[in-house]
Amino acid sequence: MSRLLDICVYSWSWLATIKIFLVIGCLLWFLLSRGLPTLSKELFFGDAPVLQAIFGQVRVWDALWPACVGTLLLVLLAGLIAVPLGIASGIYLACYASSPFKRILSMSVELLAGTPSIVMGLFGFALILFLRDTFLPEANTSLLLASLCLALLILPYLIFTTQVALESLADEYQLIGPSLGLTQVQTVFHILLPAAGRSILGGVVLAIGRAAEDTAVIMLTGVIANAGLPHGLFGKFEALPFRIYYLAAEYQSPAELNSAYGTALVLLALTGLLYSGAFALHKTLEWQWNQH
Amino acid sequence: MESTLTQAEPFCIVKNLQVLFHGRNVLQGIDLTLSGNGIVVVLGSSGSGKTTFLRSLNRLNECYPGYSSSGRVNLKLSGTMSDINHSDLPLTELRRQVGMVFQTPNVLPTSIAQNISLPLKLVTGLGKSEREARLVEVLQEVHLWDEVKNRLKDNAFRLSGGQQQRLCMARVLALKPQVLLLDEPTASLDFKTSHKIEDLLIELQEHYQIIAVSHSLRQARKIADQILIMKEGRIEHLLKKEKFEDPKILQKLLEEIF
Ligand SMILES: Nc1ncnc2c1ncn2[C@@H]1O[C@H](COP(=O)(O)OP(=O)(O)O)[C@@H](O)[C@H]1O
Ligand SMILES: [Mg+2]
Repeated sequence: MSRLLDICVYSWSWLATIKIFLVIGCLLWFLLSRGLPTLSKELFFGDAPVLQAIFGQVRVWDALWPACVGTLLLVLLAGLIAVPLGIASGIYLACYASSPFKRILSMSVELLAGTPSIVMGLFGFALILFLRDTFLPEANTSLLLASLCLALLILPYLIFTTQVALESLADEYQLIGPSLGLTQVQTVFHILLPAAGRSILGGVVLAIGRAAEDTAVIMLTGVIANAGLPHGLFGKFEALPFRIYYLAAEYQSPAELNSAYGTALVLLALTGLLYSGAFALHKTLEWQWNQH
Repeated sequence: MESTLTQAEPFCIVKNLQVLFHGRNVLQGIDLTLSGNGIVVVLGSSGSGKTTFLRSLNRLNECYPGYSSSGRVNLKLSGTMSDINHSDLPLTELRRQVGMVFQTPNVLPTSIAQNISLPLKLVTGLGKSEREARLVEVLQEVHLWDEVKNRLKDNAFRLSGGQQQRLCMARVLALKPQVLLLDEPTASLDFKTSHKIEDLLIELQEHYQIIAVSHSLRQARKIADQILIMKEGRIEHLLKKEKFEDPKILQKLLEEIF
């Protein structure tokens, strides 16, 4: 009987694992078969000359390049704001907060995590309206505002993963620092964080993915279809997910729809690039930790 | 019960020490004076408070939630008796001087060398060349040098359990402590490896005041100069070597207790 159960559990988990590969495989195959043929110089730059388009000397119309730059900047900015804040909050929750206060804080983070992204967008939008009515009449939706709202969106992932990563280190491991006479700050930064690095990296990757794909937030906070390359922090911008969204919603010809698949492929590749960036950063920090 | 050995100057005086976790009494008023040379071995059934007692000597209990305590602990550090709770003795300094090795080896997930070098740098701020000299010195002290000298950059997890435990000891010794607290240092090791560590402890007792919790009578008789028997958060007996040299007497005492 228990042998039969064993076999069932085993085959079930095996099938579940296979299923993941199947789903990813199907998705990729579908995207590749539709999108790959559309990848071309024209998709990225339209009829603009490549070099001049890259450096923004020539305006690119109806092509991906400005959206690539927009998404890249958006994610980097949101990450720059959210990663230090999120990791610091996670550290505070795991290593410093006293228990009644900790419960309130954790609840707030959960609430933040449960907030739909469109609400985050609305919040940014309302903030601009408020600023316009009060002391900043020229305030407008922009790259900075969108990054801020995106940062808010991904903050809870970073806080949670950091907190859980630190708290799940074994008791005896957590005691190494104090038992050797290290200060709490030294323990956190030199003993605990490096050991939790891998899991925190997982959270960062999740956050990057979330920031790169979100459309609802940026739609209300500064993305437009034909902005060209972003003009600084306070300018409008284009972004890949938004481009996919409107291509898919308003395409005029099958070719245009196919270019949406191509765009999706590019977004996937860009996200992969950002992941590798996070991975490389983690490797560097780890390497540094191993030097003496 | 006041347990005293009075022929020499004491190195540890505990007065009415109570430790509570979440209001539950774990150490119930310990009075103890330890003196003399040699290793003090703490015996007692599991849950009798041995680990908590050790941790109250370097104030490590304070790292746990729900901790409270009363009473006094004085340890001989740098030749003078010091109140470990006194504000003149910073907590980090106390813990450097009273080193602790845990039941299961807890190496850092980094290279063998870095396991010793990193804490050393953080605690003492020593320069690179001094740290490297200290590294060789302590690895030799725990007889690990010959085994690891060609693989100092390897991850410490690749070492065997016994090697890891000796690395943990070296990590503590590098900070030049005066007292060593060992919490069942051989509990997770096999018989042969345990013997190695025991021989090492017998060597180390020349230079450090060692207090070790043990789970084995054999081990206690081999390494101890005095045996402390704990039961339900109290010190039940403090035995001098003459007393436990006769295995029958010790056996009888332990049977009473377990
Ligand atoms: N950090 C802690 N929090 C709560 N209870 C604890 C803690 N440490 C020890 N105790 C309790 O104190 C008692 C003695 O524990 P311990 O000192 O670990 O015993 P021993 O080492 O002799 O097995 C046990 O009942 C244990 O549950
Ligand atoms: Mg114990």
